[in-house]
Amino acid sequence: MSDTEFRGPLERVDDCCWRIPRAYKPGMRVDGLVFADDRLVEDLRSDQALEQVANVAFLPGIQVASLAMPDIHWGYGFCIGGVCATDPEEGGVISPGGVGYDINCGVRLVRTSLSLEDVRLTMPRLVDQLMRDIPVGVGERGKYSFDMGALRALLREGVPFLRGRGLATAADVDQCEAGGCIPDAVPDNLSARALERGTDQCGTVGAGNHFVEVQVVDRVEDAVAAEAMGLRAGQVCVLIHSGSRGLGYQVCDDALRVLRDAPARYGVELPDRQLACAPIASPEGQHYLGAMRAAANYAFCNRQLLMWQVREVFARVFGRPWKDLGMELVYDVAHNIAKLERHRTGNVAKTLCVHRKGATRAFPAGHPDLPTRYRSIGQPVIIPGDMGRASWVLVGGPRSMERSFGTTCHGAGRAMSRTAAKREARGRDIRDELHRAGVVARARSREGLAEEQPAAYKDVDVVVDVVHRAGLSSKVARLRPLGVLKG
Amino acid sequence: MYEIFEHTADLGLRARAVTLRELCEESALGLMEIITGDLAQLRTVDALRFIVQGRDPALLLLDWLAELLHVFATRRMLFARFEVDVSDVPNGLSALAHGEPYDPARHVLAHEVKAITYHDLEVRQSCGGWDATMVVDI
Repeated sequence: MSDTEFRGPLERVDDCCWRIPRAYKPGMRVDGLVFADDRLVEDLRSDQALEQVANVAFLPGIQVASLAMPDIHWGYGFCIGGVCATDPEEGGVISPGGVGYDINCGVRLVRTSLSLEDVRLTMPRLVDQLMRDIPVGVGERGKYSFDMGALRALLREGVPFLRGRGLATAADVDQCEAGGCIPDAVPDNLSARALERGTDQCGTVGAGNHFVEVQVVDRVEDAVAAEAMGLRAGQVCVLIHSGSRGLGYQVCDDALRVLRDAPARYGVELPDRQLACAPIASPEGQHYLGAMRAAANYAFCNRQLLMWQVREVFARVFGRPWKDLGMELVYDVAHNIAKLERHRTGNVAKTLCVHRKGATRAFPAGHPDLPTRYRSIGQPVIIPGDMGRASWVLVGGPRSMERSFGTTCHGAGRAMSRTAAKREARGRDIRDELHRAGVVARARSREGLAEEQPAAYKDVDVVVDVVHRAGLSSKVARLRPLGVLKG
Repeated sequence: MYEIFEHTADLGLRARAVTLRELCEESALGLMEIITGDLAQLRTVDALRFIVQGRDPALLLLDWLAELLHVFATRRMLFARFEVDVSDVPNGLSALAHGEPYDPARHVLAHEVKAITYHDLEVRQSCGGWDATMVVDI
């Protein structure tokens, strides 16, 4: 990929942070800052991810720096792992590309009272039952369908709407980022096409890197935080990764269509069409914000309904109600979203629009937006790794507010392209390899396991180590996979 | 002709043809190949008519492919053959797409395409014909 290699300057700030100086390209309003250690930085120059960090620095109203987390990789417009905060008072913009097509793609972790010994023999049957009962893969419809009135209420109210229908508990609502509802969502801002795509997909996994995984807590690194989350070594958990499905993709696509000529109209020069944006205060900006929030609420509901179905499968396989199996939600985080939040830049407190494109909010202990249960330990952060090695639970770190607008990484980050991963998998049986490593894996498509094989991702332990050392978030527990359901 | 090329998290699609009309057909075949992994599994028993407006060739191509994604998302229609015409619609194209609805019993699909992105989107005309490059969000 030599034609796409980054040849710009990359200066060391400290042992886990690098700078692309503003002087690199005329038009950059701030520096780029990339969190990575010496191991990760070596591979970063090989594609356009760093160029994308520099491009985001062009956005009007951007504050402090265009940031990238250590799981950074080449995306479209924004890099994956990108963070950008803009100030509405300074003509700051909102860019749908800074959220992505899968609005509020995110993860949720469910704990159980089961131990590794309880599931060891049941795992193949459990994963097969999950595969039968949970819609996963391209073109699959969900078992919940909502008429237009109900869909609009769901988009406006988020998970509390499902609670009213007996599909969520009070604790499920409380243990979600933003209580499972981003306020000021405007379902009327969604096109007929977006609504049409939303009627039968709530409660479906999708494909690509989305999954449902049965995991076991491998080791606990912070006993106090783990206890607050109800986690202990040897405990079985379920991790769910999905987003707003076709409804969210359509909202993003519609917004980019509306914004095609907005940069020229507002006098904004951009190096990439995918960064199309409009001032937050403009009619276009407000319209997108209202629609994006509605799609974000749909995503919270999608993960809630996936968890609900997982609970039902466990109850069936283990012959006990899910409550008896201790299947409580630990936390649900968004990692593709833009939110208005209070932050300090210098000595001034401001309301900023924080874009997180493949990055997770990581508020530290004491932050007023956290549920009471977690206020003393910091916000739980859930980092899916790959299906062969590990995933992590972290908490918001002490330096996240000053260094990264209260943000940390969102996953391991891809190390290999999809085509390269498929090439690597030729002649191999990934399902069998995983089986020998103690992981029962099932995928609907022929590409699912090959493109998502463990080697296609960076080592999540290395990524998490960087955000831990940088003070963005702190390690709580490492989990390893036992059973995997893929699209 | 079309080819699918490497992009870290997603997939790239490149198409080449002598005319804009054929470029739209080749790109559509490339998109269907990404979704299905194998066009040979599709029968061409149904046909659907499309009309897409647009002056800029790159945006016209993107909108045409977005229509195909929409029809798959809502009606589960997959296509294996296209007849595009760019002369009978002023500033746009009309197309007849041949295929069949997705049938989980007979079809194994490969990718869920979220969207055709604007990143590195390029349509160029040279003396040898037309070239298109785009990144498809997976």
